[in-house]
Amino acid sequence: MRLAFILSEIGSGLRRNLSMVVSVILVTFVSLTFVGAAGMLQLQINQMKGYWYDKVQVAIFLCGDGSTAAGCATGTATPEQQENLRTLLESPAVAQYINDFQFESKDEAYKHFKEQFSNSPIVDSVTPDQLPASFRINMKDPEKYQIISETFSSQPGVETVIDQRQVLERLFSVMNAASLVAVIIAGVMIVCAILLIATTIRLSAFSRRRETGIMRLVGASKTVIQLPFILEGVIAAVIGAALASGTLWAVAHFFLGEYMSKQYPDTAFISPAQTLILAPALIGLGATLAGISSLLTLRRYLRV
Amino acid sequence: MIRFENVTKVYDQKARPALDSVNLEIDRGEFAFLVGASGSGKSTFLRLVLKEDRATSGAVYVAGQNVANISSWRVPRLRRGIGVVFQDFRLLPQKNVFANVAFAMQVIGKSRSIIRDTVPEVLKTVGLEGKEHRMPHELSGGEQQRVAIARAVVNRPGILLADEPTGNLDPTTSMGIMGVLDKINQNGTTVVMATHDDDIVNEMRKRVVELRNGVVIRDEARALYTSMIPVVGQSRRFKDASGRPDGSAADPGDGSVSSQAGEAQ
Repeated sequence: MRLAFILSEIGSGLRRNLSMVVSVILVTFVSLTFVGAAGMLQLQINQMKGYWYDKVQVAIFLCGDGSTAAGCATGTATPEQQENLRTLLESPAVAQYINDFQFESKDEAYKHFKEQFSNSPIVDSVTPDQLPASFRINMKDPEKYQIISETFSSQPGVETVIDQRQVLERLFSVMNAASLVAVIIAGVMIVCAILLIATTIRLSAFSRRRETGIMRLVGASKTVIQLPFILEGVIAAVIGAALASGTLWAVAHFFLGEYMSKQYPDTAFISPAQTLILAPALIGLGATLAGISSLLTLRRYLRV
Repeated sequence: MIRFENVTKVYDQKARPALDSVNLEIDRGEFAFLVGASGSGKSTFLRLVLKEDRATSGAVYVAGQNVANISSWRVPRLRRGIGVVFQDFRLLPQKNVFANVAFAMQVIGKSRSIIRDTVPEVLKTVGLEGKEHRMPHELSGGEQQRVAIARAVVNRPGILLADEPTGNLDPTTSMGIMGVLDKINQNGTTVVMATHDDDIVNEMRKRVVELRNGVVIRDEARALYTSMIPVVGQSRRFKDASGRPDGSAADPGDGSVSSQAGEAQ
């Protein structure tokens, strides 16, 4: 009975304050979309880093079947060539520059590739044979990349030596800057949202002061009096958060999935399902913000 | 039922207190009028009973409990034991008569079946049977006040506080309202009514407590609106008595003076 009563109070409150409620929904929608965009950029950075990024800086790719580089005249790198390279890496001349290195076989390369490109149709057309084996090197000083490159590029069985960081880091710094901007905009919008929720609750409390006055007099508990107002704000914010989550999903699905992944097939993009990880966080954030701001407002404007 | 021990209420340090060392006891089942000019402290008295305000000093007991010791989350329970009626009715304009009365039960979580049984009964007590579905603007002032009384007593409070309930009504309608309040009092509810309406007080012949500038200057059983005893002497005698901390002069039981005064009519 009391629950039904509280629900009907919430319903009448939302209806009576419709324009304010819509504006709360829109403001939380926009602010949480920016929060989510920052989160999505970070997810995308993680996706592009792949398996090796945080562990190594330099990759020495060995010759594969179709390699055309000068060192690959003999076709796929032979086990002896692999051993030579390993010995060279362990020799004091090179070892002084590196922390450690790992060998990635074709099969391991295929496994990591599948993980990174799990959202891309490209994964189905790739076989372990097409992927080169590689040595992955963790440098003591990434700036000394040139030394490794010079030493190994001309070795037999080596297709190419790549400093992966240098390629990705420029891109990542742009993406990090973008997510910082998104967070700043989100911060400003969240302040807007909090103030708007507080104003909405205040108006709502004012327009229903007659009812709340009587509720007080007949001994309604604090919960029964305040909960409808708090839930009003929370419901509006949760709707906004749900819209924001839906928008992020749509961006991942239509923009990244349908458009970008066709334009840049060699880049790993996040899947729409991954953006849904952000949804509970956004909804939780929206509900918490609304709950706290309406609680503080009620403490000032609704005596119980 | 309601006991004030040396209660002082100061709103503004510079001004005189709204209530000044008031000692008063209203027993269970009593019907008492609270009279006095505007600003004499009647409303402050009612607010202190409801714990809308805290007494600056002294103790207020309601149903044997010192209200100062009631924690804020238990204040609702205190208020469930007290019905309140105002001069301006305070009905919800968008709800009909039944819904207005039922509202008081809904918000404290009474079940729908209990509400369906109780509300018509109470509406009958206040003389509104058959008008359940009227809206407040379709009712006369007297009928609106009856709805307000029904709402105040529907949860069967032990105490009914009425703050000038007849202030907006004509004399005939007022007498009807008094009949309802008297009936509720007959059923065992303690009624405290603040009023300016001398006709009503004179007609009812109940206990009268007169306040002036925050001090109880008269407390008589079966009394009139104005005292039969010369006010100057009366006021001084009562001021002395009630001014003392141990003074039990304001106790309704003692009332050697007041009962004499009452019989003097």
